[in-house]
Amino acid sequence: MQRLNQLQHLVREAMMATDADGTAVRVASETVNPTRGLSSPEHLRIYRRAITGTFTRALGQLYPVTLRLVGQQFFDGIARRYMRIAPSRSPDLAEYGRSFAEFIEEFEPAAGLPYLPDIARLEWAWHLAVSAADEMGLNIDALSEVPDSNRDNLIFILPASASLLASRFPVHRIWQVNQADWTGPQEVNLDEGAVRLIVWRRGYDMRIDPLCDSEWSLLSALTQNMPFRNLSRNLPDMVTLLPHCVQHGWVAGFQLGESTD
Amino acid sequence: MPAYVDERIRGAGIGLRSQHHQEIIERQPSVPWFEVLSENYHAAGGAALADLEKIRNLYPITFHGVGMSLGSSDPLNFEYLARLKSVADRFQPEWVSDHLAWISVGGEYVHDLLPLPYTEEALHHVAARIDQVQDYLGRRILVENPSTYLSFRDADMPEWDFVREVAEEADCDILFDVNNAYVNATNHGFAVADYIEALPAARVREIHLAGFEQHDNYLFDTHGDRVHPPVWELYRLSIKRIGPVPTLIEWDTDIPDLEVLLAEAEKAQAELEAQPCSA
Repeated sequence: MQRLNQLQHLVREAMMATDADGTAVRVASETVNPTRGLSSPEHLRIYRRAITGTFTRALGQLYPVTLRLVGQQFFDGIARRYMRIAPSRSPDLAEYGRSFAEFIEEFEPAAGLPYLPDIARLEWAWHLAVSAADEMGLNIDALSEVPDSNRDNLIFILPASASLLASRFPVHRIWQVNQADWTGPQEVNLDEGAVRLIVWRRGYDMRIDPLCDSEWSLLSALTQNMPFRNLSRNLPDMVTLLPHCVQHGWVAGFQLGESTD
Repeated sequence: MPAYVDERIRGAGIGLRSQHHQEIIERQPSVPWFEVLSENYHAAGGAALADLEKIRNLYPITFHGVGMSLGSSDPLNFEYLARLKSVADRFQPEWVSDHLAWISVGGEYVHDLLPLPYTEEALHHVAARIDQVQDYLGRRILVENPSTYLSFRDADMPEWDFVREVAEEADCDILFDVNNAYVNATNHGFAVADYIEALPAARVREIHLAGFEQHDNYLFDTHGDRVHPPVWELYRLSIKRIGPVPTLIEWDTDIPDLEVLLAEAEKAQAELEAQPCSA
């Protein structure tokens, strides 16, 4: 097994090395047979192209708006760099690309599009929501059975599909006008200002809902498992706010936290 | 227990692709079975799983994956296998398959099937892992011969000996990809007839057919085209030798209308029915 292990490390390094003619490819090519039409390094480079293609395609499918905003060539350039600094650690390719937004944020050539990292964050949130667990929504009957004495310990839970996203830019509008089926005006005024969004799924219906300040405050508090007693202490309009969020479907369940008595 | 558990996989099926979900559910085309890319359904929920539930109630299915990394020198990824097992428990595929290849080492995945050196060391290693996977999943799996674009200097046996020996040692079944064998024969310069002759017929439970792409000095297996004439020729030779085993049309890039896939499957079905003891 030791020999196999060494060989596989050599090959993987040749696959992921930046330079297609560099040392890693040269070293690995010593293990590979040349054929009549192709030298040993050329055999390795067939795999290098295939692997680069797989990663760039997967990222392009996951981040279609990001791709559309920068164009295929520029996107492929980002993807090729990203795949080398952020190796995939799961056999499920659907789990790859979580840190793409952070990478773009640090990627100097993309600095001219300051909203791009938040677009990528929005697309990752969408990706998570698509395949999140199916839910029935808040069980009001079960909630009504919680005794009043226990009410303060209730912890309300967001849908499993939900991500909260704040941006300095109207990223939901940028996202919308870059959908294939969008027929409205293409312009988005970046001065429309900051937005707060919840990206989630109701049934199989994907949603991006803008949130006002009070909705954002409540839903953010829920992501921190804040019990009802603290919610009502910190958020003055709780009595109307919570039913309002429940009605929108943004509260999908509850649990009973520890009593402080 | 649902009625479909008793159904068997027979004849020529097609690979299920999400673009076709709705059409299949609405039209219920005449096709004997679908092969499902299992990793596409590892999600916790969502519309794709609901579609598969509906399709599964209409057709028998098999599972095909690329994530086991059977040939890797890493430990097996049991988190992945647990997910696969749970999806298999839910959808009850007739069988589960993966490849005689590796996609990871040092915990990092390249998501493309890399070839093994056909050595004694690799043979025993991969056979032991298949054995472990079969124990864990509680079922015999099928392993597929991959398309390859390089061979290692270390190799001390031809690919067909490696495939056969692994299957015997692990006591697993074989998914014989005729297109891959043709691609490899062209790329590495051997006769596919030798390959087909060496296959342990009783272990071959499924055949894959797909299209390749011609490059300057090699063939590349794109799964993005109709099955090419020389591959049909080898397919006839294969089923003559090993019998009319269930056959699958695979198409993964530039996925065409469902009709195109159904027409390819019909061609394969006609070949199967032309065999003396047909499916």
